[in-house]
Amino acid sequence: MRKMNIRALVLIGVFSAISYLLMLLNFPLPPFPNFLLVDFSDVPALIAALLCGPLAGVFVELLKNVLNYFMVGSPTGVPVGHIANFMAGITFILPTYYVYHKTKSKKGMLAGLVIGTVVMAVMMSILNYYVFLPAYTIFLGAPAMSAPETRALVVSAILPFNAVKGAMITIVFMLVFVRLHQWLQKQVATNHA
Amino acid sequence: MINSMIIGKYVPGRSLIHRLDPRTKLLMMFFYVFIVFLANNVWTYTLLTLFTLSLLLLSKIPFSFIVKGFKPILWVIVFTLLLHVLMTKEGNMLFQFGWIEIYDKGVQQGFFISLRFLLLIAITTLLTLTTTPIEVTDGMEKLLAPFKRWNMPVHELALMMSISLRFIPTLMEETEKIIKAQAARGVDFSSGPFSERMKAMTSLLIPLFISAFKRAEELAIAMEVRGYRGGEGRTKWRQLTWSYLDTLFMLSLISLSILLWLLRS
Repeated sequence: MRKMNIRALVLIGVFSAISYLLMLLNFPLPPFPNFLLVDFSDVPALIAALLCGPLAGVFVELLKNVLNYFMVGSPTGVPVGHIANFMAGITFILPTYYVYHKTKSKKGMLAGLVIGTVVMAVMMSILNYYVFLPAYTIFLGAPAMSAPETRALVVSAILPFNAVKGAMITIVFMLVFVRLHQWLQKQVATNHA
Repeated sequence: MINSMIIGKYVPGRSLIHRLDPRTKLLMMFFYVFIVFLANNVWTYTLLTLFTLSLLLLSKIPFSFIVKGFKPILWVIVFTLLLHVLMTKEGNMLFQFGWIEIYDKGVQQGFFISLRFLLLIAITTLLTLTTTPIEVTDGMEKLLAPFKRWNMPVHELALMMSISLRFIPTLMEETEKIIKAQAARGVDFSSGPFSERMKAMTSLLIPLFISAFKRAEELAIAMEVRGYRGGEGRTKWRQLTWSYLDTLFMLSLISLSILLWLLRS
């Protein structure tokens, strides 16, 4: 870890910049509450993971959120939403990366993205129930929701929202990946040469 | 809009708060988030509000900038306030109208909690308003330096962040260029059915990734040629200097916490 490759370092920096820009182009999905936003900033993170290993993807997710927090700020002051976004990002890209890595084919990538979506949606539901929604209660001073109320919000909004978001990213990423996979493989090969 | 993407919310200035070391500002913000929870009665809230207001005044930033930060969350605050006022049934009754009963404890509770939230937002907004992103990066690198001992890649993280900051405007321009080039070829980015827009998105993302990758390669080679060998023994153009002002502000925060601790009930 101490001796990180310069190429990887620079690549993570540049891809975090793309990720940051794509994060600014976020939009809400009509039936869901407006604090849940869709953006395609996970796509460059996943490309970085494919090019330089899973850790690169984690760094892109981390940097995009740190940059966003210090440049755009958080409506709640304390970066609860940014931490949630970071967790959603890594629970999506890490499973996708490892499943894809087993087969290294287009089908493997599709399977990876679907598994990534499922893992992300489930993990985010659990984390929201135990960590993020209570954290909002503490910092916003919103009256604490009872357990059944929280569960209703998780099941009716957070779980389906993350599933839809994952599906949208899957579609966009597959469209990109189909055209890029040969180029990606060539870059990975020359990087390891 | 474009400007806000590049420099964030930073408002240039030479005020006392602008001149503070970014380390001081980061540390103060970090501890402030905890200190806020110490306040629990009229005296402690008044003290906290006065302290926060004086920081805002010292920064010489027009109040409208800070109020802008409150806007997206305003309805949440109002909702919280109303909920506490209407739902808390403790203390003496102040007012009754049909099923609406308002108690003094409820009013107090709602007011305190909304105030705490406003103060938290004001302080975090103040940091982004008075500190450039690159100063924040430098400050974080210095503050996290002790963690290097446990193999945390502190220098690398700071370097990646500065590279990102450097490339945000460049890649923005690139994105605009690609959007125009693809629009000239007939791609419609702003309308059309959902599936068409997804495809339009890929016609932007692919050229953007390839060009970003090429830029990264070029920069990596340039750094290697110039002998970049990591953070060890690297010198800096911009040095952070800790002045008596920083000590003064840190001391004021410490005395504030002690006072809050003594006055809380």
